[in-house]
Amino acid sequence: MKIVEISHVSRVYKVGDHEQKALDDVSLELESGKTIVILGPSGAGKSTLLNLLGGLDSPTSGTIKIKGQDISTLNADQLAEYRASGVGFIFQAYNLIPTLTVLENVALVKEIAKDPLSSHDMLREVGLGDHMYKFPVELSGGEQQRVSIARAVTKNPDILLCDEPTGALDTETGIMVLKLLQRMAKEHGKTTIIVTHNQNIAKMADVVVHVKNGKIKEVINNDKPLAVEEVEW
Amino acid sequence: MLFKKLIRTIGRYKAQFISMIIMVGLGVGIFLGFNIEWKTLEVNVAKAFEDTGFADYRIVNERGFSEEDLKKIESIDGVDAASRFLSVNVPRKDDEDIVMLTVSENISVSGFKVLEGTPYDPDDAEGLWISERYAKQNGLSVGDTYTMVYKSLEFSGPIRGLVKSGEYMICLVEKAQLMPDHEKNGFVYVSPAYMKAKVGMTFYPQIHVRSDLPKETMIDRVEAALGKSYMIVDKELVTSYAEAHGEMTEGKTMAALLPVIFLAIAILTMITTMHRISISEKTQIGTLKSLGFKDRRILRHYAAYGLFISICGTVLGVVLGLGIGYFFINPNSVMGDYLDMEHWELHMPLWSIAVVIMINVVLVLATLYSVASMMKGTAAEALKPYAPKAMRRMWIEKKKVWKDLSFATKWNIRDILRHKSRSFMTLFGIISCMLILIASFGINDTLNSYIDDFFENSICYKTKIVLDTEQAGDADVAALIDRYEADWTSSMGVQIGENTYAMEIYGLEHEYFRFVKGHGEHIDLPDDGVLICERIAKKEGLKVGDTFTVSVYGTSEKYDLKVADIAKSISESVMMSDTYAGKLGVNYQITELFTNETEIEESPIISSTQTKQALLDTFKSFTELMNVMIVMLVFISVLLGIVVLYNLGIMSYAERYRELATLKVVGFKDRHISRILIDQNLWMTILGVLVGIPAGIGVLKILLVMLASDYELTLTIKWLTYLIATALTFGVSFIVGVMVSRKNKDIDMVEALKVAE
Ligand SMILES: Nc1ncnc2c1ncn2[C@@H]1O[C@H](COP(=O)(O)OP(=O)(O)OP(=O)(O)O)[C@@H](O)[C@H]1O
Ligand SMILES: [Mg+2]
Repeated sequence: MKIVEISHVSRVYKVGDHEQKALDDVSLELESGKTIVILGPSGAGKSTLLNLLGGLDSPTSGTIKIKGQDISTLNADQLAEYRASGVGFIFQAYNLIPTLTVLENVALVKEIAKDPLSSHDMLREVGLGDHMYKFPVELSGGEQQRVSIARAVTKNPDILLCDEPTGALDTETGIMVLKLLQRMAKEHGKTTIIVTHNQNIAKMADVVVHVKNGKIKEVINNDKPLAVEEVEW
Repeated sequence: MLFKKLIRTIGRYKAQFISMIIMVGLGVGIFLGFNIEWKTLEVNVAKAFEDTGFADYRIVNERGFSEEDLKKIESIDGVDAASRFLSVNVPRKDDEDIVMLTVSENISVSGFKVLEGTPYDPDDAEGLWISERYAKQNGLSVGDTYTMVYKSLEFSGPIRGLVKSGEYMICLVEKAQLMPDHEKNGFVYVSPAYMKAKVGMTFYPQIHVRSDLPKETMIDRVEAALGKSYMIVDKELVTSYAEAHGEMTEGKTMAALLPVIFLAIAILTMITTMHRISISEKTQIGTLKSLGFKDRRILRHYAAYGLFISICGTVLGVVLGLGIGYFFINPNSVMGDYLDMEHWELHMPLWSIAVVIMINVVLVLATLYSVASMMKGTAAEALKPYAPKAMRRMWIEKKKVWKDLSFATKWNIRDILRHKSRSFMTLFGIISCMLILIASFGINDTLNSYIDDFFENSICYKTKIVLDTEQAGDADVAALIDRYEADWTSSMGVQIGENTYAMEIYGLEHEYFRFVKGHGEHIDLPDDGVLICERIAKKEGLKVGDTFTVSVYGTSEKYDLKVADIAKSISESVMMSDTYAGKLGVNYQITELFTNETEIEESPIISSTQTKQALLDTFKSFTELMNVMIVMLVFISVLLGIVVLYNLGIMSYAERYRELATLKVVGFKDRHISRILIDQNLWMTILGVLVGIPAGIGVLKILLVMLASDYELTLTIKWLTYLIATALTFGVSFIVGVMVSRKNKDIDMVEALKVAE
């Protein structure tokens, strides 16, 4: 089943009189349940693409269908609903709320998601069962990223969107986070889209999308995606 | 280059800068305004007194002073000048106006200043010098003829000059009158020669004296000179002097209380805001440092922000201060109605300039302090973004209920506790707003209930008749009492120890006058004791059941009186029934009658009449003076509330920007997020209101003691006042909450989360 259908999407930024095309007439279709890695140099338009998929931003032209629903025409409230139940975000900068405990950071999505999972279970699953009552600053970077994964999965969305999830972590911690991500995606049957400029991460993907200058250069199907342990880092 | 940065930064934090300039402006403006108010009064009142030879002492003898008496007083060592003086209330012919016919033998004492017309001439046996204010109100000008009736004689003559006099700066013809009525009342000076031509010998019941001698010395020397003790009234007890200085004291009190709140808020807001700005500038400060800028250079750069704000604020404040000063003190203001004086130029105490400079210094130091803490340590450390204090678990989190709270509630609670200074400032702003509202509405309530309780309950007559005590024989008075079915009173001066009070004896067959205490509870005038007013009770330390001794002025009579109860009274007086006076054998002469009749026939023994309505009217215009103040205070406190809350609101919003963006990304709707922000505002407002009410009552108590201890007011706050004050405060808080939370529609999620700080 096609979960993502992007057709002729452009995102143009106006900087003064100058027009900056972050995405330029992009079309892409993605299958449900797969792991997709978006690769490309800095400034290629990766984050822009991901933000459009996540309903953080709207395209200048073109349509984006998620599970057949066109999200490019939604109003602010409808987009919020889509973000609340349809997608989970994981950022390089974790973006946890510093004044809420780990458990509260995860549990807060239960107030908005349509069909959330148990936040306690989820934290245990990501191995933070003992840290539930700590505040984000009391955790390491890797641990914080695990909280943010738990938060994203607790919403029980169809898609997980990850923008450089390991960007701020050292290699070893990065591997741990990726492992977790892969496991969670498998166990809960999520479509996972990871933005990165790390070639190695691409090896664990079912599909690799290369982006450059706001255009999709190529889409490679990987028949034999590797488990995280099998990748040589 | 750094200058460009300065301009851009100011642009970036526009809202903060503007609200801080307004805060500083309000603080400085109110500080200057209130100080200008009393200083202007002080200078101009002193000038008016100086210009017209205002007397320091008045020696009183109901039987009159002779020329020899005057000579003896003049020759006292330490007396600069003395003058025999007469002032009587007389009606204008065929009119209800009452003017004070005045003669001062030596016009350099208790005289006047001619604004228009010819100078005073002691030998002019025809002309009148008339109150300029009264003349203007009645369309009289120099050369017109004016006629009064005195001792059944027509006192008439051409107006020689329009004048002002310190003696009549507050021109009240009646002791229960609170505000002058320049249309109905004025004063007319004539020369001794005029009096001589009309009535032969002038009767002078007072000698006015200009002297720097202290009161005790004066009393001793006068007694030595005249061989007898007379009542000596010093200027502090003369209405014009006492009330004008009362206004100054009020001004000083307000100047000491109100601006403190505003200045404190301005300085605290400055500190919190500059702290906030320097936090978000921290990496920039680090960058500048790592580029090689010296600390001092960077500090100077940031000091410029503080200086910019405080200078703009000060300019605004000076304009506002002059505005406030003028608003209160100008010839057309309520104060202008009250005080009849020539000069109204604004004056400012010199030290207030120093204070304003100091405020500027403090503001700049506050800025420097905030910035300095951001650039501590090495350039590398300074480069690191500001790390807020780590969250600690609070006692409340250990409670069971905590678990059941929504995340939004938890978030708000932690946010409040984490940003203590911001929360404190917010609370302080709301409390101040509430406090000022309660206190200012409370003044109004208290005054109104005073009118209701006292005037409505105590004055039951329609007309008061003031008798001419020189003309009225006992039989005449008795005839009048019969004719008008009147009640009556007699008033005489008495001393308790060193202090002078009035003793009033009442014959109240018809209960046209009644006594009240507290909130208008009625007390009967007892036959075995006296009522004393609250002020005498306080000053003399008397309680119900105590006995005290009074001595009647100018006689050797002494009486021991028992305090039966404590009542409210406009003047400081001891009140007794005619029965009790009879028992004690007090000698008295009836001075005033109270009647339900409104048509009072003219008579040589009646010096004037006054209706209850006229009395109420003067009180109403007195409350107008308060109302002006109240309107201004309400306006100011609402403005204060809006500015403080808005400034803190956008600060809080900026601080939580990333968190708000995260909530949005996670899927919270704008409405939901607004509600969370407004909730926090609401809690703070509820808390602020709860604290603000008792604080307001406290301030009101202080204000009543400081400003109106002459009026025996009972603190009264109506439910409506609580309601309106609370509604206004919530309104302010709600409006600001909506203004701030509407901004979250504009949160750019992509932008907010792009840079990993
Ligand atoms: N708010 C903006 N205004 C103007 N141009 C923008 C804005 N955001 C992004 N761009 C431009 O759009 C292009 C794509 O940006 P995007 O953030 O998607 O790149 P990216 O592939 O994620 O790069 P990186 O790997 O560095 O994160 C860039 O050239 C960038 O300059
Ligand atoms: Mg990116």
